[in-house]
Amino acid sequence: MLNDLLVAFQAVATIENFLIMAAGIWGGVIIGAIPGMTGTMAVTLALPFTFYMQPIPSILLLVALYKGSTYGGSVSAILIKTPGTASAACTTLDGYPLAQQGKAGKALNMALYSSCTGDFISNLSLIFIAAPLALLALRIGPPEYFMLMIFALTTVAGVSGRSLLLGLVSACLGLLLATVGEDMYGSFRFDLTVDMQSGLAVAPVLIGLFAIPELLKIIVFRNNQSHKPMQLGDNRVTRDELRRSLKAMLKGSMIGVVMGAIPGIGPSAAAFSSYGEAQRSSKNRENFGKGELEGIAASESANNGCCGSTMIPLLALGVPGDVITGVMLGAFMIHGMTPGPMLFENNLNEVYMLFIGMLFSSILLFGAGKATMRFFSHISRIPPGLMAPIVLALCLFGIFSISNSMYDVIVLLVMGVFGFFMFLFAIPAAPFLIAFILGPMLEENLRRSLALSRGDPSILVSSPITWLFASLAIFVVVVTIRQQLKKAKA
Amino acid sequence: MGITRGLVITALFGIVLFLLIPAYVPRPRFIPGFAPPPDMWPRTVSMLGMALGILLVGLSFSRKTEAIADPENASAIRGDTPLATLLTRFGWTILAFALFIGSVMLLGFLLSSILLLMAMLLLTGYWRHKVVAAAVAVALPLVLYLFFSSALNTRFPVGSLFRAIGI
Repeated sequence: MLNDLLVAFQAVATIENFLIMAAGIWGGVIIGAIPGMTGTMAVTLALPFTFYMQPIPSILLLVALYKGSTYGGSVSAILIKTPGTASAACTTLDGYPLAQQGKAGKALNMALYSSCTGDFISNLSLIFIAAPLALLALRIGPPEYFMLMIFALTTVAGVSGRSLLLGLVSACLGLLLATVGEDMYGSFRFDLTVDMQSGLAVAPVLIGLFAIPELLKIIVFRNNQSHKPMQLGDNRVTRDELRRSLKAMLKGSMIGVVMGAIPGIGPSAAAFSSYGEAQRSSKNRENFGKGELEGIAASESANNGCCGSTMIPLLALGVPGDVITGVMLGAFMIHGMTPGPMLFENNLNEVYMLFIGMLFSSILLFGAGKATMRFFSHISRIPPGLMAPIVLALCLFGIFSISNSMYDVIVLLVMGVFGFFMFLFAIPAAPFLIAFILGPMLEENLRRSLALSRGDPSILVSSPITWLFASLAIFVVVVTIRQQLKKAKA
Repeated sequence: MGITRGLVITALFGIVLFLLIPAYVPRPRFIPGFAPPPDMWPRTVSMLGMALGILLVGLSFSRKTEAIADPENASAIRGDTPLATLLTRFGWTILAFALFIGSVMLLGFLLSSILLLMAMLLLTGYWRHKVVAAAVAVALPLVLYLFFSSALNTRFPVGSLFRAIGI
């Protein structure tokens, strides 16, 4: 294997490949940082260009765009509280408070270090444990999926606000909204208008929920403070801060690797689960949500930790875990390669070249992140009174361009107003979002499980894996209630 | 605050459970195999939401458990600003959003965005810096319009008014 990897190294280490990957990373960072433009959009737009390229450079371009956009999402999440991608929503919880304290550079640096660490560990895991992880993922059926998502939801509900109850209310609202549109058997639900039959897209809901309430807050609770630009101030992550965050970073990377390897779970759930675990085990858990670097390290390492491992089910089983890997599956097939167990027999050289290229892209991500940081940091100097309308314009044009439809723009604005009311009632937005994303899968797997068991709910606790996730969910609930009661007594 | 919030949440889920689901989630006459009906999941979630709302109301009565249900004092965000002022600002913003949605088909996406941006800059109080604000309100939508139209081939609504005068 080592020999094959060395041969692949020589084949990949060309100027042409580096330029392609660098372009992909830079493009991805910029696209990810623009609210409304997602990694999926970047990969889809680049797909036609790959028709004219060699197989491996074309896949590397798509992977680079994916990685760049995953990191880029954190830039706008930290600076303007508008996550460029759903997986960066968790980063806003601590990133934006840090930016408000004049530590935008520090937050961006920590996001970059964590993203690169998560990405690198994910790539290594792809190389060395692709096969066993793919086998484990294969054993996860509908009941296991359901329990895994229940665990992810309880974690998010428990950590993203100050009250578990309000977190659960938020999750219920998200689950309910996710039922709008066509269900798995073709029935239409809550189709108050014809447009609503297609359901609600993630991008307008995500951006509406996080970006528009900020604008409303500035307008409604207007005060002199809001016109003061944020200072760049303290930019460097000290060695002590890095050491303190290392545990969260490594744990987050592993959570990202495992959750990324399971088709459909994705980086958003991984980021929130990692955040929850970091908060639970941190000595500074009181600072989470107020500007804690460990929180950024946990979420960013986990979401980038998924980048490599989402390729595991794609390469090993031929199963795309999300839309982006679905597009990549298309790119593989365009170039005559069929992902799946036979790929390792028929195209072993190409697979190793891809592995090496992905390792290089982690280093390029670091370079691109550092180079763009200075430029992006200046955004935080724009006064909020000017910045919020600018963000609104970016959101309007970005969201309209996704499907050329005013319906998405209306969803964006309505969700913004809804998000503002959630803020007034101190209901956290993060569980809502994650429940909205996982909701369709959660319901589908519940209904599939019940159909399999002829309506017997005991199927949900019928295997060791379901027991494991159910126990973890109960553990999270008990620990959160205990912590909140302790706080209430204090 | 805790009681009001609990009641609002209970009412919201109640409306979904008792009014919206019966009206907008049709139950098919025949469901193949043992698959649960389409209203099973929304009903379950709504019932759970209602239960949580009632729990929030209940916990708000006891000072000991209030902290779990009501972690922060929301009135602190409001400060000394009179409620009428806050409501007026909120009302203007909603009106601006509604006018934007309504005007897109008439004035087109670009002009409506410029007008909305001007309204937002006025409402955030940044309009004091007239030159910068006006430049941003006009230039930013124009740049975004050109970028998305040329790079992504997005077809923004031109507006019936402009179409009528041949632009």
